[in-house]
Amino acid sequence: MRVIVELLDHQSGEFIEAELFDEVTIDHFLETQREWRPVVTEAALYLAKAGAKPILVPRHFHWDWTKKEADLRMLAITFYGLGCGGALQGLMKLLTVGHTCRLPEQAGKPLVYVDYLEAAPWNIKPLMNALGKAPRYGGIGTLLLEAAVQKSKDEGFKGRLALHSLPTSEQFYLKACGMTAVGRDPAKQNLLWLEYTPEQAERFITRGTA
Amino acid sequence: MNKELDRKWLKKHAALEDGGFVSVGGFISTFEEKSSAGEEPVGVDALKHAFVKLLQLKRRERKLSVEELAAKADLDMAELLRIESDEGYVAAPFSVHKLAEFFKLPERPLMALAGLLKVKDAQFQQQALRFAARSEPVEKLSKEEHRALEEYVKFLCER
Amino acid sequence: MNTKKTMTLNLTEQEMEVLESLSTQKDLTKTAVLRQALRLYQLVDARLAQGGKLFFEDGQKKKAELMVL
Repeated sequence: MRVIVELLDHQSGEFIEAELFDEVTIDHFLETQREWRPVVTEAALYLAKAGAKPILVPRHFHWDWTKKEADLRMLAITFYGLGCGGALQGLMKLLTVGHTCRLPEQAGKPLVYVDYLEAAPWNIKPLMNALGKAPRYGGIGTLLLEAAVQKSKDEGFKGRLALHSLPTSEQFYLKACGMTAVGRDPAKQNLLWLEYTPEQAERFITRGTA
Repeated sequence: MNKELDRKWLKKHAALEDGGFVSVGGFISTFEEKSSAGEEPVGVDALKHAFVKLLQLKRRERKLSVEELAAKADLDMAELLRIESDEGYVAAPFSVHKLAEFFKLPERPLMALAGLLKVKDAQFQQQALRFAARSEPVEKLSKEEHRALEEYVKFLCER
Repeated sequence: MNTKKTMTLNLTEQEMEVLESLSTQKDLTKTAVLRQALRLYQLVDARLAQGGKLFFEDGQKKKAELMVL
């Protein structure tokens, strides 16, 4: 699947064409290790130097690429990439088994679980600001989340979707995306589990007009 | 879908995304908080990781297997395997000395990376972190890895 | 990659009852239920092949191993 979408180009203020695709390969994973991680690490160092709280340091570096390669063959796992300007700008991994709804009104029903979603660090404002730069492209998280909702609909899950949010993204998923906070998950470092009902998902992808 | 509405919506969401790290399980989630601003931002773990990465890259640069390196550097192969695969393992000082000799690396900085010498030099630690973040365990050294390796060895030699 | 192939499936009455029950419970079409079953089977099979084990844990945190053959 390859679909043309539009990203916001922060530098020009204009919209620029990008490609959303599901034919993710091991090369894309390697690209994130090679191009993304050093920038995140460097930005974290600058954040630490600037006295930003909390001070973040890398916990570990071990990355098992062989397991990721096996994931590419699983029907239950779907990856999406977002490419623009010849580089990977965002990556997402979805699971269609292994998690079910926790909201009481839809408890036990299948959903698409967002296992991983990341924008390239040069698109992330707090990281770029730490390096004295402006972010490059905007809207990546939103576009990937939209793709996840569409996947849920395609699978017959009616848009039901869930994820564990980082503390700094909770407000985005709650307020901007209209998800429901179900509760903190002790099995996942107390991260907040957020979920979409079909109605909420529909409202999100119809730009709030549903 | 209405293009104008799409763009307006995306612009609004992009601005809201800018407020934080909109990611699920990304690199930033592999970072942990340091409790005190006075501590060095990089711990011994990062130095050990740089030590392992440096040895792996130097070995691969010479196209040596672990077994071949053990034979040529006159080291115990089991220990060398342990050094490369177990970052919790503290190498014997003599082994680090032999590795420094074989790869023509400065011994004291290498001992510090191996966790055998204490170092409070923030720049030393940060360079170790940068170096480790730039290298990956794939078989052939990429141009970037070559460059990172050369730069880092140069830095170590200047300590 | 997204082109679909059609298959005819013969199920016993009991199997069909289970399929219909799951379809209602999970708010899925019968096809979607079977797709989920296939995905789960493949995933579990792959993890077992890698040396993993599949367990169910009861309320008392007691684990019982379940192997998919």
